[in-house]
Amino acid sequence: MSFVSKLKEAIVCLRAGRVTLPYPARPREVPPNFRGRPIFDAAKCIGCAGCANNCPAREILVYDPCQEIRILKYLGRRCTYCGRCAEVCPEKAITMSTEYENATDVIGDVGQRLELFMSTCQRCGRCFKEPSALEQLKLKGYRFDDPENERWVFRSRAYLEGEKPVDDIQIEMD
Amino acid sequence: MEARTKLGELKEKFGGSIRRADLPGGGRMFVVVDPRAIKAVCGHIFRDMGARYVISIGADDRPFSGEYLVAHNFAFDRAKLLCGVLSYLPAERPALDSISDVVPAASWAEREFRDLVGIEPIGHRYPKRLVLPDGWPEGVHPLRKDVSWDHVPANFDGELEFKFDDPPEGCVVVPFGPFHPTLDEPAHFRLYVDGEVVRGCEYRGFMAHRGIEKLAESVLSYNDIPMMAERICGICGCVHSVTYVQAVENAAALRVPERAEFVRTIMLEVERLHSHLLWVGLACHIVGFDTLFMQSFRIREPIMWVAEKITGNRKTYGLCVVGGVRWDIGSEMAAELRGVLDKLEEEWRSVVDAVSSDRNIQKRTRGVGVASAQLVKDVGLVGPVARASGADIDCRRDHPYAAYDRVDFDVIVARDGDVWSRLVVRMNEVFESIRIIRQCLEKMPGGPIQSQIEDELPVGRMGLSSVEAPRGEAHHFVVTGENNRPRRWRVRAPTYQNLQGIPSMIKDQQLADMTIALGSIDPCFSCTDRMETIDVRSGHRRIWSGEDLRRLALGGRG
Repeated sequence: MSFVSKLKEAIVCLRAGRVTLPYPARPREVPPNFRGRPIFDAAKCIGCAGCANNCPAREILVYDPCQEIRILKYLGRRCTYCGRCAEVCPEKAITMSTEYENATDVIGDVGQRLELFMSTCQRCGRCFKEPSALEQLKLKGYRFDDPENERWVFRSRAYLEGEKPVDDIQIEMD
Repeated sequence: MEARTKLGELKEKFGGSIRRADLPGGGRMFVVVDPRAIKAVCGHIFRDMGARYVISIGADDRPFSGEYLVAHNFAFDRAKLLCGVLSYLPAERPALDSISDVVPAASWAEREFRDLVGIEPIGHRYPKRLVLPDGWPEGVHPLRKDVSWDHVPANFDGELEFKFDDPPEGCVVVPFGPFHPTLDEPAHFRLYVDGEVVRGCEYRGFMAHRGIEKLAESVLSYNDIPMMAERICGICGCVHSVTYVQAVENAAALRVPERAEFVRTIMLEVERLHSHLLWVGLACHIVGFDTLFMQSFRIREPIMWVAEKITGNRKTYGLCVVGGVRWDIGSEMAAELRGVLDKLEEEWRSVVDAVSSDRNIQKRTRGVGVASAQLVKDVGLVGPVARASGADIDCRRDHPYAAYDRVDFDVIVARDGDVWSRLVVRMNEVFESIRIIRQCLEKMPGGPIQSQIEDELPVGRMGLSSVEAPRGEAHHFVVTGENNRPRRWRVRAPTYQNLQGIPSMIKDQQLADMTIALGSIDPCFSCTDRMETIDVRSGHRRIWSGEDLRRLALGGRG
């Protein structure tokens, strides 16, 4: 009987009560492991560029204007909040915050820029190593990105090829 | 064992044409055949051996073997076997016989590799462009290895309008889409309408390409791809990430810790729960029954929240990496998940109880969009659409993956093949999902959730993986490669096959039923349109040009 079924549907609705949240007025609490906008801590960052190498969206750019300074730029424009950067960071310098209201008209609002003073390790030139062989495979040295034009460049096609700031560094795999 | 028998049968019939065969075990079989015999072999497998067509893949293998590669994948569901029929084509003349007249389901896939890899299917009955827009120049094939991922041909005309076929005599064209209230995503159907009755249609889709496959084989790396695969679809993202990593694990013969398999199973079922509840809501919305739309979304919301608690996000779980999962489900979380499931089961039972005898919904859905058993076989329909037409196929049982071989569940099948049957199948599958999650939580062993991968992944191996997504079987094909990324990764989303059934399903139906018939396959255009290298914007007759729209969207700042 359709009438009975309508009655049952009405009961389903009535039993539900009010479920709407007062959203814009009071944002909903998110769980502690929520993956919101990543926050970079310049004090902890050692400039290993592991995050840049592992970012699926290629939103973290690394550039060395000179031997002592490394610029790490998080653009955040097409960041997918997957949290891989925070996962691979050996110093836990990246935290996935609980911020989720990140919509903005000005693209620079979500970006972050870290200027790191680097001292080069005389032996290896870098001090970061991935735990698994799968991850190690791709670590062929720094990718020289182009933060001024906010794009990342392929090593093989980079116009920097003629004048590399430092030599390509071969990673020792034990 | 089964693979050996099937291969024996093929060898007996086509002995001379079979050049090589590989039986890696675990329900996979690869047969390399002479391109001249491809049609006969595929026809025999499909018609006489009763296999189900899955997908065809074209790949540019020139840098490695000097040849092009075509693979036609079939599934022997009863024998728990996935089979790839491979053919290598000479680099100077990449062409082979079309199999689409013996296997009608291959029509789209062949048109696709014609567009993207430039392999000519000889004798295809409708060799029109499928993926590339009409403004794309001839002879540029984005998935060839010598075309870079960001290449835009100089003579590409993004504003060129599509050329459409002429409607049949006496019919009027009703354009449906690309932007239509019941479509969440762009796809364009040109319905040929005679009075109120739909006589046929032409489909132009692939308007939301994001070039994911090209990116995967030229930019991303093995462990980046799961995060991107998840973005293939807004609803069954976890399915694609699991299917991809399983295909890589299958290719490289990697072992996954048992606990990781259970976590994957649980999250896949959580995804199915929220997807089915969403679909029931949307279907009711399409037929104008918004009460149930509201209620199913209300019932669905706790599932989203519990997923957020487990993985850190409502929808994009970021769950998989090659060799394991990233998030664990602790005992506290398990208890909470159980509580959510109990509540969901009780509430959903009362909804199903109310809806099953609701004559208003039945009037709109019974006898609408009927897919016959023959259509299921010919077009290769999958998932709830196939199961509603009496086809007893379900990858979770037929090609067990993750932990599905260790849980007990029923495959829901209905007979009528109409929209109502699909509604019934989906409503009842919710209970099966709840059952599976409960068993998983019970049986989940301890241990690590990621395996340590010590060696480089082997190069040039092929892997297949089928996962039962909420909408049907998602199938991925991976060829492992150098530089820590696959050589070729082919995604077949369930909608890819199901959409091909739409013209037959809506034929001779009322125009007003088109929306629910299309809605009933739960179309997901972003899944289907997952690959291309550029943003295709042509294809709709617009007053605004693309540039105007962009300026409008940017509020005059652009």
